[in-house]
Amino acid sequence: MTELELRDLRKTYRARGRPAVEAVRGLDLALRSGELLGLLGPSGCGKSTTLRMIAGLETVTGGDILVAGSSLVGRPAQQRNIGVAFENYALYPPLTVAGNLAFGLRARGRAARKDVERKVADIAERVGLTGLLDARPAGLSSGQKQRVSLARALIREPDVLLLDEPLSHLDAAQRDTTRRELKRIQKDLGHTTILVTHDQEEALSLADRIAVMKDGVIQQLGTPYEIYDSPANLFVADFVGEPPINLLPGVADGEGHARLSDAARIALPVPVAAGREVVVGIRPEDLCLSPEGLSARVVAHEPLLESGIATLALGGIERPLVVLTGPETRLAHDERVHVTADAQLTHVFDAETGDALR
Amino acid sequence: MSTGKRLSGVLADLALILYFVFALFPIAWMVILSLKPADQLFSTYFSFSPTLDGYRTVLGDSEGIPFVRFFVNSLVVSVGAVALSLVVGLPAAYASARWRFRGSENLMFTLLSFRFAPELTVIIPLFVLYQKLGLFDTYVGMVWVLQLVTLPLIVWIMRSYFADLTPELEQAALLDGYTRRQAFFRVALPLVKPGVAAVSLLAFIFAWNNFVFPLILTSNEAQTVTVGALSFLGGDRPKYNLTAAAALVSVVPPLLLALTIQRYLVRGLSFGAVKS
Repeated sequence: MTELELRDLRKTYRARGRPAVEAVRGLDLALRSGELLGLLGPSGCGKSTTLRMIAGLETVTGGDILVAGSSLVGRPAQQRNIGVAFENYALYPPLTVAGNLAFGLRARGRAARKDVERKVADIAERVGLTGLLDARPAGLSSGQKQRVSLARALIREPDVLLLDEPLSHLDAAQRDTTRRELKRIQKDLGHTTILVTHDQEEALSLADRIAVMKDGVIQQLGTPYEIYDSPANLFVADFVGEPPINLLPGVADGEGHARLSDAARIALPVPVAAGREVVVGIRPEDLCLSPEGLSARVVAHEPLLESGIATLALGGIERPLVVLTGPETRLAHDERVHVTADAQLTHVFDAETGDALR
Repeated sequence: MSTGKRLSGVLADLALILYFVFALFPIAWMVILSLKPADQLFSTYFSFSPTLDGYRTVLGDSEGIPFVRFFVNSLVVSVGAVALSLVVGLPAAYASARWRFRGSENLMFTLLSFRFAPELTVIIPLFVLYQKLGLFDTYVGMVWVLQLVTLPLIVWIMRSYFADLTPELEQAALLDGYTRRQAFFRVALPLVKPGVAAVSLLAFIFAWNNFVFPLILTSNEAQTVTVGALSFLGGDRPKYNLTAAAALVSVVPPLLLALTIQRYLVRGLSFGAVKS
């Protein structure tokens, strides 16, 4: 098994008559052998470009890509031994599943037929495709196509596995089972893997570590818990979490509180100098309804099965406050309620730079 | 079924029949003409003693006009032109669909312009050039000049076929260790086979039907059926029955070809329109 390292990786697109676009600006990442790293970010953040540079489908403007210590830059895709499961699966329609899997093995000269058959049967069993080997791609469900695509990437025993939005085209039920399968297969076979996704749930549930990207720069690198529990800046806090975090602008009073409006004050987790403009972030699940605290009016309450989502209006504050409620809670429109937040679970960011204050 | 519906059905059928008569009449007239004996050509419309003499004369090379050779010439020249265009055009179409390089759009537009510039604008300089280069009245000369007809067609149509293929298919092959060339031949090309069949047929028909180039650039050795069929009109008396027979014989190859690849043709012509 192998480590993967990206050193100051850069990609700039230049076209005549148009300003240059810096898609990736100096990425540094190091993956341990067998690690699954999630590259998470909105579309256009450079995550797919990064993946394509590692695979050799895109030229590198600057920096280096190292697999097991040796550089891949300058080597064509054919000589890199990287496995990619493409977002659109890219299965070859005229061939059966077995044919698709064998196709890659036949690239370098004539592989022994017995050998090919054994490898196809082997990978099919690991990925759970044994009964489908004679089917054609058109007859498969999206989840099955995804497994074929994964098996095709794995059959050559690649040094590094790249997954491009592996769950984005699956329906909810298939997504759950495929996610579980994906995690099991990756842990079983132990490939060093990069998962590219815009879906936080996919990244949080699958990845050992997550790199959150924006505008070609990594905003934060950490375990799913670190990303979620202590976001490094406003972007990460806002991007990760469902329903999204409440972000409330305010001014620190120098006594451990931030003033959100004339009436509303909220306790801060860290001391902040008086007069500093801040943004207070509180996740909906860290707020609770209680007999006292900030006074608010119920705008809407959506009861879901295991919880409910309440949208509240705080006096003097424009943005609505979203609170996760318990399954038993019943709220009426325009009802007056009070909410409290645990200062230890509250996040505070500098309003100007967006960086977390710790 | 209500009477209203039945009536509109009948009317629709009637309209179709009218259209068929209108469309097929010239062909029927040609068939009739080709079966007439020479002495009844101008005497009657429909009552005549049918004979295959016209076909016998045309195919028997009598009258001093080597029609069979013209026919073979047409086959050689048209097949040759399409084959050359495929060899050059398929990689060109693939490259222009996959990569934008300096001048690629200008190149494509230049190719297209061959189609909308009238052939007559280039024919006189071509005639002089062909005379000087020894290409006049040769197969090579005809295959070459027909590239103006077949190459733009093949490049432009195949370009949209290749553009509709998702590039990930070839990229997956590259990652598997295939070369670019192999990815083209073993992944991209087999998937556009219906398109190749359809566009080859179209190109063949255009090459076969071309009239101006063989008219000016050939005299005898490499002359094709389109010009050759007209030779029967020369001489002291125009022999319309022979021209008709020659024209009908020359319809056979494109027709046969169209029928054999019909299966591909329907798929091929609709393929580019809808992305899978």
